[in-house]
This record gives sequence, structure tokens and C-alpha cells, in this order.
Amino acid sequence: MQTLRTIALAVAAAGTLAAGAAHSARGITVKGSDTMVILAQRWAERYMTEHPGAIVQVTGGGSGTGIAALINGTTDVCMSSRPMKEDEKRKLRDRYQTMGVELPVAKDGLSIYVHESNPIQRLSLEQLRDVYTGAVTSWKPLGGPDAPIILYSRENNSGTYVYFKDHVLLGRDYSARCQTLPGTAAVVNAVARDPNGIGYGGAAYGRGVRELAIRRDADSPAVAPSAATVRDGSYPVTRFLYLYTRTRPAGDVKKFVDWVLSADGQALATQVGYFPVR
Amino acid sequence: MHIVNPNAFASPTPREGPGVAPPPPGEVGLKLEAWIAAGLIVPLGWCGWISTVDAQPPGPDSLAAPAVEDAGGRLEGLTEQVQTIQADTDRMKRFKFSGYVQVRWETAENSGDTVKVSGTTLTPANVERFYIRRARLKLTYDASPLSQAVVYFDGGSDRTIRLLEGYLALLDPWTSDHRHQFWAGQFNVPFGYEIERSSSLRELPERSRAENVLFPGERDRGLKLVTPWTDRLETVVAVINGGGVNSLDFPTTDPTGGKDVLGRARWSQGVFDVALSYYDGLGLVPLTGDDVETDRTRFGADAQLYYELPTLGGGSLKGEFYSGTNVNADSVLALTVSSSVGRLLRPGADPAHFDTDFIGGYAMWVQNLGEKLQFAARAELFDPNTDLDHDQFERVSLAVHAFYDGFTRITVSYDVPRTDVAATGGGYDDAPDNLWTVQFQHRF
Repeated sequence: MQTLRTIALAVAAAGTLAAGAAHSARGITVKGSDTMVILAQRWAERYMTEHPGAIVQVTGGGSGTGIAALINGTTDVCMSSRPMKEDEKRKLRDRYQTMGVELPVAKDGLSIYVHESNPIQRLSLEQLRDVYTGAVTSWKPLGGPDAPIILYSRENNSGTYVYFKDHVLLGRDYSARCQTLPGTAAVVNAVARDPNGIGYGGAAYGRGVRELAIRRDADSPAVAPSAATVRDGSYPVTRFLYLYTRTRPAGDVKKFVDWVLSADGQALATQVGYFPVR
Repeated sequence: MHIVNPNAFASPTPREGPGVAPPPPGEVGLKLEAWIAAGLIVPLGWCGWISTVDAQPPGPDSLAAPAVEDAGGRLEGLTEQVQTIQADTDRMKRFKFSGYVQVRWETAENSGDTVKVSGTTLTPANVERFYIRRARLKLTYDASPLSQAVVYFDGGSDRTIRLLEGYLALLDPWTSDHRHQFWAGQFNVPFGYEIERSSSLRELPERSRAENVLFPGERDRGLKLVTPWTDRLETVVAVINGGGVNSLDFPTTDPTGGKDVLGRARWSQGVFDVALSYYDGLGLVPLTGDDVETDRTRFGADAQLYYELPTLGGGSLKGEFYSGTNVNADSVLALTVSSSVGRLLRPGADPAHFDTDFIGGYAMWVQNLGEKLQFAARAELFDPNTDLDHDQFERVSLAVHAFYDGFTRITVSYDVPRTDVAATGGGYDDAPDNLWTVQFQHRF
């Protein structure tokens, strides 16, 4: 009798699960990096056009949000503008017994934006670090007007935020005066309206602002972000953009990922303003 | 480097904002008529003002300009409000709430829930029940990148809310991700693998018996230093009271005076992790008369191997081994604990044999069955006194998990323990104590 009741409960649980599984039949979901949203949307549109019946849903939220969604199972594919951290891999492993599959799908140059009226044309990485850590708070020592520097940044769930902190600030903390904004477009908007503002974000977003040339160090030439300089690595602030899956891609997810890495998918990345990895 | 989505940059400028657009021409005409009518009926004392209006009849531009100016002011005001809200939101983001609830149905071959009634009759054993195994709420406050405070409550099967963990963590300022940590407070004992692994993630409803006996409650009070030497190698050193937070004697004081010291070194290769742990301390058994102090040492080794199969997905093999010296479980069982009579040795117990060597451990296999199902099997052993036969505990446990969504897990498990019980006609029998468990868990 006890066993029968237990089995009945188990069957009820399985039924509930089946309902959940049926609910999950909704095509491929792609979530994560706001930097990659436009690119992934274009990929999805073109893929669905070329593959009638396929459904690919793309949403942003930031790399951290996308990775969290990958871990808790609410997205099939995560887009991230930074590599997964060790503790994130451990969380994925705790649930799925896997380390995740990392797929570099495009290359990006991270642009530094200032207002179009700002006379500053170039900064070194060290100057940029000083600006964003709060060591330099005025444009004057950088050759600009005697005006305060207004810092704009992404939120800490953003892969761009993490990449900038790790590679430009060398791990140091952002200045407490830094204003965080949701999305690169918001950063661009804020800088476009603020003559004293400075921000950073994906190169494909830089409208209404001016992009600075960056020196690797004080003795290096200043290099402006461009297709050529990002591709050849001479522009100092470049990075890979990734897709992540929990396990080796299979079925519809594999078809989509394979297409993203195909000549067509990579050509689309170039059209959007990023750089192919193949 | 070209623009791909101009709409992404469209911001509501004053000219575009709703309610600030210049009014249509017809509407302006109506307003002019109203101004003229008003000028005809107002008292003469206001003529100067009226004449000003008449002299400069407001055209569309002169009406729109103040409106735009007004809208600009409002926008600035809204911007300030948004910045204030943003600052408040940033402060609120320092608080993080998390937790989980585990609701269980259990049906067992025996139960400790038998209720004694008056007379000689006992109620039948309660072998089936619903209960809340764990209901936990954790609050983390990230004051800055360099410090953190955590309080963690449980209101589970005993229906009493109690503090499970409470500690502060200081993070180093010299690494980019602040990897070195110093903890002070009440936290999981950093020994082995399964102790620190959250019950919400574990593949079987309960930890192994060896862990339950050696680290009751899993938590203790003290200090902990976490040092990642490389991306792969991490060491932990801790000083704690010893005895655990569930101990009757150790909740606030440590009768042994000396503190227990432990350490662990873990190598994480990703697909293969291995760790060694060591614990050195003293246990005190308070008795009526002289108390007895015993060694409390534990050695631990654990390893986890992860793999992936086509179609099925990820899987893992995990194992953990414990050995050391502990208070003799048989002597402890022989003690009578009562606040009125103190603690006495049962007649026949050997005070000279208070601590004994023990061994324990488990081997576990976990296999995902796609992304919605998972299977787990574990075989375990705990021998509390290696010098004594028929006191071993063995158990085989099986579980299937169904993941309803990213936060909810439904588990059906079956435990088959084996314990030797002296049989009436001589020899030993396995006690009837198998257990079915159905568990619903939600994390947040």
C-alpha cells in the first residue's frame, strides 16, 4: 500500500514534469550580452528566413544574466561578451555535470566614447585606467577643458563591464562616481548628451559620439578602432564574443550554431560591424 | 564600423517627448481667440498687461518655446529623479535574498514517530508523513567589493526558525577578483566535499551517514582563511570551537579550551577535482565525576570526475573517504543524558576505550538523462569502531530527479540501509528500515 501511494505520487510528479517539458517546446532561446543582441537578432532573422519552421528567440539582459539563465535552464544558448568565470562553470557543473561549451563566434573592438565637442582625440590605456578608477577626475590634465569628467559605465551583470574592468582597469574597482547604465545604447545616449561624459561599449553602437584613439602605452601610437585595427589586433581593446551551450550542441541548437559559424553567419557578423572568427 | 540599429540610439529628446510637441495649427488658433476674448472682458486695471498681449500676439513659435523650455525643465527633473532612484536601487542591490524550500512525503518501513499513550498500548508506528525538510532563507549584504555579511536561517522540520549561518567575509584588495577571503562567524566546516555542498544541489536527499555522525549540523563557529594559489589550487585553513553547532555542549562555549584546527587543499582541473582534508581537535564528554577528553581527528579524501555522453548529457563519478579517531560511539550510546542526574556511564562501558578508530565513505554515480531528468546512485559505509563487528552502517540510495523548470526539482528516492540487529535466535538481521522519499524543491 505504501509503495503504491509512493508510486502514485511519483506518477503525479512525472505528469507535472511532462507538462513542464511540453511548455518548453518553443524553439531555440538565445539570451545574454546586450552587446551581442543586435548581432544575434540579425543571425536569428536570417536563419529563420533560410530555415522555414525554425524559431530562434533572442533577448538581452547582459552576459551575467545570460549565463545565469544557461545555468538555471531558462535559455538554450547564452551570448556572452566575456569568458565564463570559474565559479559560473562550477554552478553549471553542479546542475548538469558539464563545464559548458564555449564557442567564439565573432571579434569585437571596445570603443571609448566622448561627446562630439570634446577636444580630446586620444588616451593611453593608463590614462583611461586613471579616469575610470577616479585617479583623474578632470579633463584638464588630459589636455581638455577644465571640467569634471562624467563617467558612464555598464552595470556589473554586463560582460562589457567585466571585460573593461579586467583588461583596461586591470582588475581595479571602478570609481564610485561612475554612473551605471543598462545597455550600451544607454551609454551612447548619455555621452551624446553630456559634453563632459565618457563611456565605453561595442564598436557597432558608436553613433552620435566620437570614438577615441587608444595608445597601448605612452610610447605607442594611438590607434583608432576600425575593421582593420581590430582584426589585426593593433587596436588595444579587442575581445571575442561567445555563444555558450550547456552540453555539446545537438539537434536544432547544433544546426543554428553551425550556421552562425558558417560563411553566411560570419559574413553577417561583418555586416553588423563585428569581425569574423573564421 | 557602421551603425546597425539607429533606433537603438533614439532617445526621447524634448521635441519628441509626449506632451511637449508643438500644438497643431488649429489648436493654436483657438488659443489666440481665447486670449482676445479674455482681453476684452478683464478690468481696466489689467489693461497694461492686455495691451502687452495685444502688442505681441503669441505665434506658434513663441508658444512652443516656453513649452519646450518647460519640458526641458521637466526632463531635467525626471533625470534627477531617475538618478536618485538609481542610487537607491544600487543600494538595494547590495542585498541579495536566496533560499529554497523542500517539501517531502516519506513512507518508511519503520519510524521513530510512535506515540506512547496511557496504559500499555502504543499507537501504531507512523510510517508515512508529509513534512518540510528544509525551508531556508539567506540574506547576503555586499557592503563593498571588499566585505560581505551573510545571515542564513532555516525553519525546517522542527518548525523553529534558527540561525544556520552568520558570518562576515573580508576579501583581499590585491587581486582583481578578490579571491582571498577571511571569514569569521558560523559557517560550514570546510572539510571534504559534501559538507559545503548545498542540500538544494545534492543528488540525494541526505548526506552520507559518516558525515552526519562526524560533523553533526555541518556548521561550527570560528575563523576561516581561503587562499587560491592558482586558478586550480585552493587551500582553506580554519580554527573552530569543534563539536558543531548542534552539540549540546558547544553552542556558545568550548569546554575543551583548545580550538580545533583543520585544513583542506583542493585541485580543480575542471573535469577532475581532488582534495585532501585534515582535522585535529579534542572532544570532551562531560560526566558526573571526571570528564573524559578524547582525540577528535579526521582525515578526508575526495574526488569527482565529470564526463559527457552523447544524447544523455553530463555525468559524474564521485567518491569520498573518511577516517580518524572519534568518541567511541558505543560508549556515547551508553551514556545517559539528563539535566537532573548528570551524565553517567552505562554499567559495563569501558572509560579507557572512549575513543576509537572509524572509517567511512561513499561512491556515487550521477547521470543526466537529457536536460530534464537525472539519475543518481550512491553506496556508502560507516564503521564507527573498526575494532567492533556488527556495528557498521551500510546504505544504497537511488534517486531520480525531474526538473520542472530552472528552479523547481521533483525527486523520488529510495534508501536501502543495512544495519545488523541481534536476532532472537542468534546471529544478526537487517533491520526493516527502507525508505521512499518524494521531494518537491523550489530554489529562489
